[in-house]
Amino acid sequence: MGYKTEWFKGIFPALVTPFFANGGVDEKAYRALIQFVLPNVDGVVPCGTTGEFSYMTLEERKRATEICIDEVEGRVPVVVGTGCPTTRDTVELTAWARDAGADGALVVAPYFLKPSFNEVYEHFRALDDVGLPIVMYNIPQCAGTHFRWWTAEGGLLDFENTIGIKDSSGDLPFMEAMFEKVKGKVSIFVGHDEVVQAALGAGADGAILASANLIPDIWQKVRRATLEGDLTTAQTWQQKVQKLVRIVVRCGSTQACKEGLCMMGVDVGDSRHPIVPGGAFRREDREELRLQLEALGKINRRPVTYDLGEKQVVTDLFATHHTPETVENWTMKVGEGFAGPPFQELAHVDLLIGLKDGPVGRAIDRSLAEWGEERGLRVLEGRPATLVVPTVTIRTDKQRRLFERAAAGVRLAIELSIEDGFLPEPILDDIALIVNAFVHPAASIAKRVEFNNYKAARHAIRKAVEGRPTVEELIAEKAAARHPFRYAP
Amino acid sequence: MPIKVPWLRGVFPALVTPFHRETEAVDEEAYRRLIRHALPDVDGVVTSGTTGEFPYLSRDEQKRMVEIGLEEAKGKPVIAGCGASSTREALALARDAEEAGASAALIVTPYFLHPSEKGIYQHYHDIATAVDMPIILYNIPQVVDRYLPRTVVEDLAELPNVIGIKDSSGNLAYTMEILEYVGDRIDVLVGHDEVVLPALAGGVSGMILASAQVYPEVWQEVLDLISTGQVSEARAKQREVQKLSRIFCRHGGGVAVKAALKMMGMDMGPPRRPLQSVGGALIHETRAEIQLELEKLGKVPMKGAAFEYPDGPIGSRFGDLELSADDIDDHGLRVGSGSAGEDVNKVQIDLIAGAKTTPLGDAYALQMTYPLHRREALTTILEPALTVRPSTLLLPTLPQRNLRQANMIYGPAQSALGRAIVDALERGLVPAAAIDRDVMVALVTIHPRATDRLAVAMSVRAAGTKAIEEVFAPSGKQGS
Repeated sequence: MGYKTEWFKGIFPALVTPFFANGGVDEKAYRALIQFVLPNVDGVVPCGTTGEFSYMTLEERKRATEICIDEVEGRVPVVVGTGCPTTRDTVELTAWARDAGADGALVVAPYFLKPSFNEVYEHFRALDDVGLPIVMYNIPQCAGTHFRWWTAEGGLLDFENTIGIKDSSGDLPFMEAMFEKVKGKVSIFVGHDEVVQAALGAGADGAILASANLIPDIWQKVRRATLEGDLTTAQTWQQKVQKLVRIVVRCGSTQACKEGLCMMGVDVGDSRHPIVPGGAFRREDREELRLQLEALGKINRRPVTYDLGEKQVVTDLFATHHTPETVENWTMKVGEGFAGPPFQELAHVDLLIGLKDGPVGRAIDRSLAEWGEERGLRVLEGRPATLVVPTVTIRTDKQRRLFERAAAGVRLAIELSIEDGFLPEPILDDIALIVNAFVHPAASIAKRVEFNNYKAARHAIRKAVEGRPTVEELIAEKAAARHPFRYAP
Repeated sequence: MPIKVPWLRGVFPALVTPFHRETEAVDEEAYRRLIRHALPDVDGVVTSGTTGEFPYLSRDEQKRMVEIGLEEAKGKPVIAGCGASSTREALALARDAEEAGASAALIVTPYFLHPSEKGIYQHYHDIATAVDMPIILYNIPQVVDRYLPRTVVEDLAELPNVIGIKDSSGNLAYTMEILEYVGDRIDVLVGHDEVVLPALAGGVSGMILASAQVYPEVWQEVLDLISTGQVSEARAKQREVQKLSRIFCRHGGGVAVKAALKMMGMDMGPPRRPLQSVGGALIHETRAEIQLELEKLGKVPMKGAAFEYPDGPIGSRFGDLELSADDIDDHGLRVGSGSAGEDVNKVQIDLIAGAKTTPLGDAYALQMTYPLHRREALTTILEPALTVRPSTLLLPTLPQRNLRQANMIYGPAQSALGRAIVDALERGLVPAAAIDRDVMVALVTIHPRATDRLAVAMSVRAAGTKAIEEVFAPSGKQGS
């Protein structure tokens, strides 16, 4: 029968694996990442799903594991991802991990060729002979193999060396069935970042999480509050990070974690192909992830100089590796933002930020003088001078109402950009904005139109100021770029 | 043992149900017009099917549709859709159909509360034994959310009045399995417009289709060609209607069929709410695509438009930007032109580049404040949120008369011009200093009849590349 250990509980990050752009594991970056998370974790998991184990050779997985065990120096347990599609490789790698000094192995259900549940059971039976403590790992989103409860029950209770299960399915009825079946004899870990508080509240012993690379300290707060019976505090923290972790879980987990860490100053590079920047982790997700990390205090401010020629202003920005030291050339800056879902309420904002006495200011004055608001143009109240222009000609009252909501979203984006320093107070009288906002003729849900336009405009302002996308990004992403309206239905 | 009926073969339209615009009441006159329109090319009709919005119809209304169908069908078979989620209701509908004199009842797999296999069998069994009329089973997992299990079909085929099954799944593995087990005893009909040809080749005896009220003659030809072994000719026919069939199956169903009929001059009114004529499952862009495909089939007249590609000295082509050849010279603006593609796929791009501080910068900003009716300028992007540099506006030279024309610009032209510009960045054609300092405006002329997005995109990329090369050539052209 499996058993429960004292050490397998609490918050474990599923560590990302930093790679060199054209090569192997970036040892220096990996060690820096481990040092970054160590103060707030109860253990670490190298080479899990978030660690891109399935894109690594067995040799690379061994090397990453060695680095991890060495860097941790026994301060917390190391549970190594050793799952492979075949039993043969999994046994070999798990035996190697045992000899390398790992505390346990996290073994994913064998994937891709969809073995039956009794073949899965036999896979874990074979692993039991290795002698290393085993954590079974259910992640049907990737493995395509959802443990049936009887597989999990058998694996957990029949074998000598299973110490627990990590369930990343987010399927709470499954997890509740596990509590019922194993009756506390082994540990149950949650692996789905969106339901951590619910799972811990239901009795889970810990969590192995992608987002614990970014916010291990907050997960400790959730866990501590739960253990102390303070559900309100635990719920509050879960809700504070809900959007962040939804992006991580659903929008390209590994690349999302890596870009998030880079924004926080922990440079871990990009994921291996076929994961690409701007893929599952879309550009709008990148902007939203950044905003969430800012709100949680995870990105530092630093002074940035806005050089308007005659005037120089220093503003404190939440700055990432993308933020320049000095922002010049304010004649006219172009920024674009895109936000959804849903499809019919999606927002696509093109905007210009420029000097009031330059092309932007002059164009606003002229268009207002020549055709006023008859073409649906909307002047926003307050500063800076802003003209919102409908990208699609407005024909109906419904479209007019929804365009008003889009304009309200743009207004909010400007207010919050003033607040966060991207549009600093001292230049508000020197600049003007032209914002083209797209409202689909079939849009209905006003709330979404407003919020998506807020998001798209906020992203567009930041991208205009920071000069993104860069030429390097454009060249790197040209081949794979896919315009959604390039194709026939 | 059931006996195959001789009439259950050929082409049957699953008729839409017309409604009046304000009241949503059934429009009987429109229904009669529709049947008369389709009748010459069909072997029978189906009332109150999925395309006919049966879950939104009352029992009385469904009975009325059968009666009108019988009056108008001039002796051709009328199959009555008798679908309901409860056995009680489906049986009542079948009794109505029997009483009215329908040729058969088409009964959908019971839905919503997900009965077991036994429950599904019992549903059909109860109905088949309670009425004295032929029964057709109906598999449509897209809306029922489950397949009619093959083993249940096998057992139901033993009932004497079960004469056929309509398979709308489009899953040929399922169709073949059904043919294998019951094809010798009952007729199998294909109900998925996208796979008519392979299903016929696989052995089905006919079809019940949404599109069979739009282009029944095409399906008759496919049927003839297959029955005489002319497979490659049949393929060509199926391919002519592949995109429309896909739109009907996946992008709007009965709503899309109603949109097509309206374009052909037969107004069947709106769907019942919550469905909407456009803007719901059928989006505006797709409706524009239906128009185009009907033009190609000759079902609606092709709308022509006289136009010319911009001509004359290149410096004279930027009047829309209020820039004359002299302005171009005076401010050191650079211009270039390129064209590529043949016939309707010919694209011309006239490109102008210069510093944001010149009048070109003003023209760029002004375009962004000026929603020209049908000639809106677009920012050039590779895809949403990947804006190219130098920042470039794409300005169509011709008014976009419909959404389909706009669809050639927004998407194909926009992303291809983006690629041409990033190609130039990659080749080092664009001076580093120009990337932030300059803006560009591309005047793009696309033939109003262009329909092939890929061809348009390729033409734009090639024409754009030529124009950029001229703009940034060491001896770059100026206006004169």
